[in-house]
Amino acid sequence: MAAPLELYCWKGAWGLPSVDTDSLIVLAYAKFAGAPVKVHKITNPWRSPTGVLPSLKTTEKNTGSLSKPSNIIIHLRKQKYNADYDLSAKEGADTLAFVSLLEEKLLPALIYTLWVDSKNYVDVTRRWYAENIPFPLNFLLPNRIHTQQLDRLRLVRGDPTLEPGEQLEKELYYDALECMTLLSQRLGSQKFFFGDSPSSLDAYVFGHLSPLLKIKLPNGKLQQHLNSLDNLRQYCSNILVLYFPSEDREPTSHNVSVHSESSDFDNEPHKRRNQILSVLFALGSMLGYAILTGIVSIQRVPQAAIAGPQHTESRGEEDEDE
Amino acid sequence: MSLAAEAFVSQISAADPWPENATLYQPLGEDQILLSDCASSLAVQAYLRMCNLPVQVCCRPNAEYMSPSGKVPFVHVGNQVVSELGPIVQFTKAKGHSLSDGLDDIQRAEMKAYMELVNNMLLTAELYIQWCDYNTAAEISRPRYSSPYSWPLNHILAYQKQWEVRRKMTAIGWAGKSLEQVYEDVSQCCQALSQRLGTQPYFFNKQPTELDALVFGHLFTLLTTRLTSDELREKVKSYSNLLAFCRRIEQSYFEDSQAGSSSRGFSKGPSLF
Repeated sequence: MAAPLELYCWKGAWGLPSVDTDSLIVLAYAKFAGAPVKVHKITNPWRSPTGVLPSLKTTEKNTGSLSKPSNIIIHLRKQKYNADYDLSAKEGADTLAFVSLLEEKLLPALIYTLWVDSKNYVDVTRRWYAENIPFPLNFLLPNRIHTQQLDRLRLVRGDPTLEPGEQLEKELYYDALECMTLLSQRLGSQKFFFGDSPSSLDAYVFGHLSPLLKIKLPNGKLQQHLNSLDNLRQYCSNILVLYFPSEDREPTSHNVSVHSESSDFDNEPHKRRNQILSVLFALGSMLGYAILTGIVSIQRVPQAAIAGPQHTESRGEEDEDE
Repeated sequence: MSLAAEAFVSQISAADPWPENATLYQPLGEDQILLSDCASSLAVQAYLRMCNLPVQVCCRPNAEYMSPSGKVPFVHVGNQVVSELGPIVQFTKAKGHSLSDGLDDIQRAEMKAYMELVNNMLLTAELYIQWCDYNTAAEISRPRYSSPYSWPLNHILAYQKQWEVRRKMTAIGWAGKSLEQVYEDVSQCCQALSQRLGTQPYFFNKQPTELDALVFGHLFTLLTTRLTSDELREKVKSYSNLLAFCRRIEQSYFEDSQAGSSSRGFSKGPSLF
């Protein structure tokens, strides 16, 4: 047997195994199919083999690394880790259809509520990513993802002048609420979408719904609707308890606990303070050396600089007096 | 529009019956219209015919710019303008015409899911082939799209459109796909539709729904449009039940009415026979 597959994905918080929808889909599918993947939960996309998360490092040379959830699932399926083995052809077709429904109707609203809605973005999403992504990327990446996601919404809706606002929110949420209701009707009282064992469709639904269920957002219209659909809420909690028991025990409070599975060097305390202090110290010593040895002289500069401003200031005062 | 105003408008529109002079606008059928627009337009026409609502087809070179959402086709009914199949279905429902009333909750959920499957895969694949395949874009899409305009506007508009579609493909992760992968996606989508249809006359029992109209619009257009290669047509043709499905809808909703009122400006294009 070849070396185990390595999966890189966003680390978890709020009682979720990962904060990112795509990562959740892949993690859930790997669990459902029983694939022995070695999971690296990281917060720096640049450390993954493809530069984005999630990412699966495969052992075959010509495949390389994969990052789209659908490609990863197809690859796992080829390795005989197939959660859809028992599905009939018609159920396979239904899977494809409902995944499209999620991508067309629910995903835009999910992106909007996490990355575009200004209150949610500033209070929750940007805060979490800025606190968890290592310095100095934490200043760069959240804003970049925000811009990318807004662009994506604009292109998908075909309106280049689209501005986040009430009208857009209303349209997106209308579609999303309808989608959740349809999913709830399709699920009915079943344990999973196709009977008693989970399939890839369950992984997709879980990936899209569980962030809404667990992340506490100040502007939570989507969450309210999801909470009112009892069977869907129950379904997501069930998957969390059954397949991710270690995550469920974590406190679901706002302050994110330090994750033991993430790489060690990210957890050093006061890391950023130390970095800033050392940069300041280096700058100070270089400047001091330059002044002491006479490379930079500050003797003449004050005379010229002081004469100028004094002159204009006195003029300004005169003008005011008049 | 505020919610109150919208509710008011939908009440008014519900009160009015469907007028005789309703018009559907689309780009010029012979010289300008592209695969994806033609498919969407045909889907709306099929839907309205299934509802038995008369509509006159009107070709305008600037249809895209007349539409409230920037997408064709759109219908002009009374004093209202509605674009694209989804909103048109809602609009006719407010007027009391609906094809999906007989379905139960699960069937309705499945119908919506399959409609999104067609939009997500077939429509995106059509856009990809039109604008991202180099040969098709250069030989068919750009010349046809810009045919009503003179130099230099024709080049500017065509390249602008192409650029926009390419950015969209990048945003949804289709930019890295090869033409073969897109054909494979179309094939996969047809496979799913074919499985779902099975031996039934329509997707849900014996009565057509908006899903049937949408699938017919796209598949019929793929079957009858001449592109730079025949591969796409062959892919669809290999599903015999889908082929029979297209013929059935063409026969029952397009042929008899065409004979009755051929002066209507009907623009479905070539037939399957």
